[in-house]
Amino acid sequence: MFLEADFEYVLKKAEEAGAEYADLRYQEYYYENILVENRVLKSYSSRNFSGVGVRVFVDGMVGYSSTTSLSRDSFLKALDNAMKAAKALGCGEKIKFDFESNRVEVKSNFLIDPANVSAEEKISLTLDANKAAFFDDRIRNAITRLGFSKDSRLFMSTYGARIKVETVMSGLGHESVARSYETMERVGYSDSRCAGFEFIRSGDWNTFASDLSRLAIEASESKTPPAGTYPVIVDPDVIGLLLHEAFGHASEGDLVSTQESVLYGRVGEKIASDKVTIVDDGVIENGYFYPFDDEGTVKKRTVVVEDGVLRGFLHDILSSSKFGVEPTGNGRAQDFENLPIVRQTNYFMLPRDYNFDELLEDIDYGIYVSGKGATGGQVDVGMGTFTFSVGPSKIIRGGRLAETVRGVVISGLILDTLKTIDAVGKDLAIRTNVFGGCGKMGQTVRVGFGGPHVRVQKMTVGGRWL
Amino acid sequence: MSLAEKAVKRVIEFGASEAEAYLQSEKVLWIEFDDKIECFKVTESSGLGLRAALGKKVAAYSTSNISFEEIGEAAEKVVKIAKVMPEDLEWRHFNMSFGKSDAFGYYDKSVEDIEYDDVAEKVYSAIQRIREYDFRVKPARGLLAIATTKTAIANCYGGEFERIESGVSVWVRAKAEDGLEKSIGSDHLETRFWKDTNLEELASKAAENALNFLRAKQIESCRISVIFRNDVFASILGTMLSGPITAEWVQKKRSPLAGKLGKVIACDKITLVDDGIMYGGIRTRPFDDEGHPTQKTYVIEEGLLKNYLYDTYTSLKDNVRSTGNAARGGYWTPPQTTPSNLILEKGDSSLEEMVKETSRGLLVEDVIGEWLSNPVSGNLNATVTHAYLIEKGETKAPVKGVTVSGDFYKMIAEDVEMVGKDVRNMGQYYSPTIKLREITVAGK
Repeated sequence: MFLEADFEYVLKKAEEAGAEYADLRYQEYYYENILVENRVLKSYSSRNFSGVGVRVFVDGMVGYSSTTSLSRDSFLKALDNAMKAAKALGCGEKIKFDFESNRVEVKSNFLIDPANVSAEEKISLTLDANKAAFFDDRIRNAITRLGFSKDSRLFMSTYGARIKVETVMSGLGHESVARSYETMERVGYSDSRCAGFEFIRSGDWNTFASDLSRLAIEASESKTPPAGTYPVIVDPDVIGLLLHEAFGHASEGDLVSTQESVLYGRVGEKIASDKVTIVDDGVIENGYFYPFDDEGTVKKRTVVVEDGVLRGFLHDILSSSKFGVEPTGNGRAQDFENLPIVRQTNYFMLPRDYNFDELLEDIDYGIYVSGKGATGGQVDVGMGTFTFSVGPSKIIRGGRLAETVRGVVISGLILDTLKTIDAVGKDLAIRTNVFGGCGKMGQTVRVGFGGPHVRVQKMTVGGRWL
Repeated sequence: MSLAEKAVKRVIEFGASEAEAYLQSEKVLWIEFDDKIECFKVTESSGLGLRAALGKKVAAYSTSNISFEEIGEAAEKVVKIAKVMPEDLEWRHFNMSFGKSDAFGYYDKSVEDIEYDDVAEKVYSAIQRIREYDFRVKPARGLLAIATTKTAIANCYGGEFERIESGVSVWVRAKAEDGLEKSIGSDHLETRFWKDTNLEELASKAAENALNFLRAKQIESCRISVIFRNDVFASILGTMLSGPITAEWVQKKRSPLAGKLGKVIACDKITLVDDGIMYGGIRTRPFDDEGHPTQKTYVIEEGLLKNYLYDTYTSLKDNVRSTGNAARGGYWTPPQTTPSNLILEKGDSSLEEMVKETSRGLLVEDVIGEWLSNPVSGNLNATVTHAYLIEKGETKAPVKGVTVSGDFYKMIAEDVEMVGKDVRNMGQYYSPTIKLREITVAGK
């Protein structure tokens, strides 16, 4: 790469200026988003964003500076800013520098770079999918999005690391709003992969959109479930959402060290049923592709819960140094303008041995809770409480799936929920999203989540949240 | 020829009938702290936002790379996108009325020359102030952001105009703990001037607040008189009115104020102005994000709805003049109709008088979740985190965890009893303290 000699020069200058350690992140980011609403192309937005961030450690203090100007002078100015920032902080505790010095180049699998596909093809495909959603006059509104991103990151450090990762994503999202009598129901879903335009070409998006319309109509004509506590089966989307939001954040080392997490001080403790094993993995089929973190640490599979026992937390360099453990490759930054903080990558439950019918057959009356069309929720990491408004679901009666119900809200204490999991399916579905990510302290990063179908003995199901 | 003008020329060369270029560069010092400085970050960024029209087909594209070659590529790209867009039948043209108003007090040179050591020292003394305030009080997560922003705008009809702005935002928080009782206190400041930034004072306020709310409790649900502190009401004002008073919302039929021009929508104590030229305002600028001069616009005058806010596109649709209210969220987003400094004009009451004249009420010092209220329906909802109960003209016990709700338009039409003389801002929204006769409070 044409700038690399400059980067090496800057790192050398950092050492000469007295930095104990320095790293540099160069990023090129391209994003494209096509939005069609009610059969009309509403917007075609795209953005190109690139720059460099320099982090220095001086006397135990961290200074950071970034620039979008791609010249050696600008890089040196950023270094100078970072050094001044670190020095302004005085002296701090010594950090254990567990930085790795990997030298690799990796790319997520893709055949066709979406940037090279004509705007006409992308638009007509999105318009077609949107039109397919309007097969019934109960459909009042439909929005279809097509999205692509290409994120190229180069990491270099004074420890000799040089890691280049390029991740291309493609996806389509659709939302249909149906009205039957007095009831409006909105059902949205998206399908994204770390893949190129071949993923879009190979999909049947008209069916994808019309299926969501069908589900919205069905939901608008169905009832809400009676409130109460039931045995439930949650699908991979819901278990993924629950684990990521209500449990995953609580396992992030920084939130544990400040005692903001319900998991503080509980390593080695049995916190879930024997059936539960939860991992965070940088590379998994259909997940987000994240083989190295933004501190140059390889992101291997981290076991957070093993057979119900809490084994450890997710760490970046700073939090692993505080805990006196190895970093786990979870130091992630939204982009080159931000410092890495502890984040999840692909966070999911491992499958066991039940097939879907076996999960069903022991339930006399319960609910099959589905994530397609989920609208969000709220968690308290300190208390471990959660409330999620999930998608249209099905009643389970006598071991069989029965009628559809809408407006399903599940809530509870995550540690209680994990303890009452009595059966785990043998399937595994992971998903990621080109249209959004997970937010923490003002930074958004892409993640993957999911798991198998899971049976929970007791789950509180209520009326609509909000 | 300036860079923005060059970009405009390139877009036209690629076949656009109209072009606009928006160039921005920014330097931000960003300091996160709790009991020490957790992050000291300096970002320098720049970017170019291009818009092109091909007849009535309009498109936007942006890039952070403003080298000459990249500008050429961006110009080609934006025209390519315009070609595939459907025609916007309402489209007339980009801004043709370039101009500058007499706005002052939006740039403080000392912000640009700031020494990092001084900044760190100020933050440390604020942290120290919280530590020394009381043994039960500790610093919690806070933020200091100091920005200098340069903007240049040109289009095929005029420019190039340039402006440079400064801004300082502070958010200080303290936590108090006494046995099982816990509380949080905070204070904030948004200003154009570094000299106005007194971190220690904010720290003291945050610590005092935390300590005062250690034993805060819920109260029973009731209808009660409520005094909203100036910055709290400023935030409510922003949530409830910043959309509805724009012509964009009116034209899209989202605004509850549509069709009410010239009608009484509030009591005569309410005068709301959008003032793009006030001295030192957070959004004071000589021209808006399309290069149109800014101005002072009366939105509500003594209860009467006088004007909506306009940018070029919405003004051409209504055959009126733009009020200079085009604003971009960043160079990468197209301009939208947005208030500049939205100010509720002050009255003549002091806070003491308001409290004294309240037999039973709540003095609301801080809320959360007000931004989840619904400006389309006018339904206001907020969770009160910090309030004092008022009984017989005196503030008493601290209150937390209750919600206030009601119809915002009914509040400003029927319930405003007193308007304070103590205007303060929450970002670009300015308000005095307001006393409302009676609203619904949900508690125990």
